[in-house]
Amino acid sequence: MTHPATLDIVKAELAVLIADKTGTAAPEISADAVLLEGGLPIDSLDLATLVVALEERTGKQPFRQGFRLFRTVGELAAIFAEA
Amino acid sequence: MAQSDWLHPAFTLADPRGEVDAAALIEAGRHLDGQNLVLPHPDARAILAGLVAHETSGGDLFIQRDTGVEVLDGQGQGLIWLQSSGSTGKPKWASHRLDELKSRLAGGQARGTWLLTYAPGSFAGLQVILSAALGGHHLVTGAPGASATDIAGLAVRHKVSHISGTPTFWRAFLIALGDGDLDLAAVTLGGEAADQALLDALAARFPSVHLRHIYATTETGTLFTISDGRAGFPASWFETGIGALRLGRSERETLTVRGGRLGELAIDTGDCIAVEGDRALFRGRIDSVVNIGGVKVWPEEVEAHILALDCVADVLVSPRANPVTGHILVAEIVLAAGAMPDIHEAQIKKHVMDLPRAARPAMIRYKTHLDTGQTGKKARAGGA
Repeated sequence: MTHPATLDIVKAELAVLIADKTGTAAPEISADAVLLEGGLPIDSLDLATLVVALEERTGKQPFRQGFRLFRTVGELAAIFAEA
Repeated sequence: MAQSDWLHPAFTLADPRGEVDAAALIEAGRHLDGQNLVLPHPDARAILAGLVAHETSGGDLFIQRDTGVEVLDGQGQGLIWLQSSGSTGKPKWASHRLDELKSRLAGGQARGTWLLTYAPGSFAGLQVILSAALGGHHLVTGAPGASATDIAGLAVRHKVSHISGTPTFWRAFLIALGDGDLDLAAVTLGGEAADQALLDALAARFPSVHLRHIYATTETGTLFTISDGRAGFPASWFETGIGALRLGRSERETLTVRGGRLGELAIDTGDCIAVEGDRALFRGRIDSVVNIGGVKVWPEEVEAHILALDCVADVLVSPRANPVTGHILVAEIVLAAGAMPDIHEAQIKKHVMDLPRAARPAMIRYKTHLDTGQTGKKARAGGA
């Protein structure tokens, strides 16, 4: 899976999660949007849920071998794309 | 000489090979060499004959469920050896004495037809076999590895009256039985915590049933039995005890037991307890606690919450490693017969929102059945 394709999946799953949570359509999400720290209306439990959704959708579990640092939407997509 | 007096003369056994009575089992046992007798993958019939031979000869009896584990050598102490369930690692041998096993059992009551749901060579299985033999009941057993559907069929065909099984067995059994023609006199649950929804479902399905759940640990055996149809046990037992047994709680909120045959030193059961009103409820094993972003969560407690829905037949909640929160819960759900996925999946999603956030499964997968180990309990991959 290429990075751009994976990026679209991350954006789509994130949009669903935000829409579910806030009850309104998610704003435009860019690759350099910071996941936590107030960049997006999600907290760490939401992010944990997003990772599970991505694991299910891609069939990959890139964090099984241990933690890898990511801060932005694009960095998370890269980890899944490379897995 | 009162050899094999534990085998009641009225006892009969029906298995896939046919029907045998106590006299035939005693006769079969007399033809076995009871010195260091090894029974690989035994059924109830082989175990009963083996017990007769064991008692007659005073030799060791090895009930070998897993033939990959070697039989211990040169014991000669007249013991019955069972293999532990091996849910973590390889099964280990543990010894028992027939007298001690018998003393824990009550075979009384009117003659009934019992059904074996446990693996015959497990501790729980041996207890059911011995109880039925002791009480002179009729015991029905299926083929090894029989499915819930097979077992439900057997129960109807043999008009079974008494069944003992794990809560996981009972949920699958209720699904498989449907409205099959069966009215049980006695239902016993053990091996896992019984949740209120399951107790209610059993009481509704079998209106005249004597319903009880047993609390036991591997180390102590059966500690107490609860027969009021409610999950957990009366919180007042912490003050009053039960007979000679005294209950307490450790600093980590686990149940401790002492008194009577256990002695005065408190034994920590490792089962976490929460008191709600007049009731003490089992939250789950201390070693199954999951830390989710710093919050302690018991998968079993989440399961009990989800099981409160009628549309859910069974559920397994397990932790999955997560880079953000350390762990997160995922759930596998078996829908009840007649449940409509479109409607009920939405209902389930809404229902889990009542849980604290950290306890909400991040993902729910729908399955037709749950995997169980040899013990009949849910296979908990994420356990200690």
